[in-house]
Amino acid sequence: MNVDIALFAYLSDYQPDGKGGRGARPFALEPGTTVADIIRTLGLPDEPRVVFVNGRHAADEALLAEGDRLAIFPPVAGG
Amino acid sequence: MRDILRVNMTDLSTTWEPVPDAWKLYGGRALTDAIIYNDVPADADPLGSANVLVFAPGMFGGTTAPNGGRLSVGAKSPLTGGIKESNSGGQLAHTLARLGIGAIAISGIPADPAARYALTIEADRSVSLTRVDEWAGLGNYETAAAIAATRPAEDRFATATNGPAGEAMARAAGIAISDPKGYPNRFAGRGGLGAVMGSKGIKAIIVSDKGAGFLEHADKEAFVAATKNFTKAIKEHGVSGTGLPMYGTNVLTNILNEAGGLPTRNFSAGSFEFADAIGGETQRATILERGGDVSHGCSTGCVIKCSRYWSDKDGNYKTKGPEYETAWSMGADCAIGDLDEIAELDRACGDLGLDTIEMGATLAVYMDSGAIQFGDAAGALAALRDGLADNVIWDGAEATGKKFGVARIPVVKHQALPAYDPRSVQGIGVTYATSTQGADHTAGYTITANILGVGGTVNPLSPEGQVTLSKTLQIATAMLDSLGLCIFVAFPVLDIPEAFVAIHEMLEAHTGTKYDIAALMQMGREVLTMERLYNERAGFTSADDRLPEFFRTDKLPPHDALFTVTDADLDSVFDFVPETAKEMGLQ
Repeated sequence: MNVDIALFAYLSDYQPDGKGGRGARPFALEPGTTVADIIRTLGLPDEPRVVFVNGRHAADEALLAEGDRLAIFPPVAGG
Repeated sequence: MRDILRVNMTDLSTTWEPVPDAWKLYGGRALTDAIIYNDVPADADPLGSANVLVFAPGMFGGTTAPNGGRLSVGAKSPLTGGIKESNSGGQLAHTLARLGIGAIAISGIPADPAARYALTIEADRSVSLTRVDEWAGLGNYETAAAIAATRPAEDRFATATNGPAGEAMARAAGIAISDPKGYPNRFAGRGGLGAVMGSKGIKAIIVSDKGAGFLEHADKEAFVAATKNFTKAIKEHGVSGTGLPMYGTNVLTNILNEAGGLPTRNFSAGSFEFADAIGGETQRATILERGGDVSHGCSTGCVIKCSRYWSDKDGNYKTKGPEYETAWSMGADCAIGDLDEIAELDRACGDLGLDTIEMGATLAVYMDSGAIQFGDAAGALAALRDGLADNVIWDGAEATGKKFGVARIPVVKHQALPAYDPRSVQGIGVTYATSTQGADHTAGYTITANILGVGGTVNPLSPEGQVTLSKTLQIATAMLDSLGLCIFVAFPVLDIPEAFVAIHEMLEAHTGTKYDIAALMQMGREVLTMERLYNERAGFTSADDRLPEFFRTDKLPPHDALFTVTDADLDSVFDFVPETAKEMGLQ
């Protein structure tokens, strides 16, 4: 199955196709894959992060489903 | 010893008085509140003689406390009708504090409404009021240049200036504060305080601190040790140590868009198709490409450095930021997807002296009326520059919406909502609804736990836990605003316990006053208590602590979210006020 992955701020260097940027990329994965599995596969830095699946916060152990959009941000804020 | 400089514009007198002992730990917002609470009748005309415009550095102003240079500007607000504190970066807070000035309090109205005055305070604390009628109508940038031309070449000074909008006493007018390079680009933007400055005939405040150093401390060794601990906490936190310095405040655009909380097309949607084009990552890349300044402090002593300068395509300085709030208000809310167009609007607001949050929201309301189309940047700029001539744009979103018959007007206590939709970020809805300041995100910034995972997590789409979150943050923020600390230190403070301890240690070492650390949060409660009591006297009731009805009835895409925090819960936010008032001996 496929999910779309979008990586923001300096995490965009870890895009699966190596091309950088923040546009969402399709990513093929096996059923039963979790957010944590993707983070490991992409080699994201071990630091706090904000993860959304389809616009809602998701935990590391959340299971991904066909067509999901996964967006990952490093620690950011503003105001 | 700190003093209050009293300026009376009716008889053009100036006098000094010491800050009363009862207010010895009050700076910034606490001090502006205390002066307004005591001196300005709640039924006073905000543009009349009885209103008092107060400029106060926080308790850490003039010191080396990291991020301790914020300025509070206060008065009775012409926009909200209640007490107002608008908080700004820039150099003025440090400059005032180094001269031992706890506050400037300006009352009265000049006899000649056409007169313009410059209030100048020299480094030896001599004070003068000078007629500068020839500066009438100048934009903030031209005013800054005119001021610079009057000063000695080697001077060091900071300014507060008023643009044409403030001179016209428009209700969306803010006050420009000079940054470290002298650009008048930091703002006490909210609540129409520029109109109060205009009513008093003050075009500029100029304060020199040439030769003045940092302030002395009761215990210098302890102060330095505490500042090191505080700096360490700020630097090691991911948000204040990396995210903000790298991308600035506008890094929020993509994350709020992802969460469905980026108000778009006058709060009719929660995501914007051009979010990335106006977001912090694109902004950083563009600034670097044009040779601009991508990270600096907006005042001396800032260790976060989230400010930046936007250059035009030829590499010339255009404006600061744009900050997240401006990128949102002029961008997503108006459906303008181009940072150069946003920067042009930001520059116009900066020069005219207008609050960019209020103005972006106003232009979006204006677009919603059909007068111009969403996305029409040229039309927006023309409407902005027309100001009061053909419409009511400079008076803000509510006045504009009423004049043009718009049903959806996003205001609380007459002040426009900032850049987070309360349907998909419910905690901020509690803050917008209940804040003493009108809709104000900085009053209790629940985006921390609602969206960013700082200080815990609270589901942004659920009403659960939002009142406690907002209440705690409103109290903490009132305290930070009084100390003169930038609100962004809240990120490490929420996650790193040593940071709060360091604040307490810095304040004890600076003032020589020993007290329980719990007194810091009590200070926040006291600030909010003065504000609530003042607003009650001005006629505010629980009916004013509500969001516009459409947030409960119109579903917001993409989550089809509605604001569902109950009225009873909203009414519980300030349950501590009676007890705190009793402890303070008020009422």
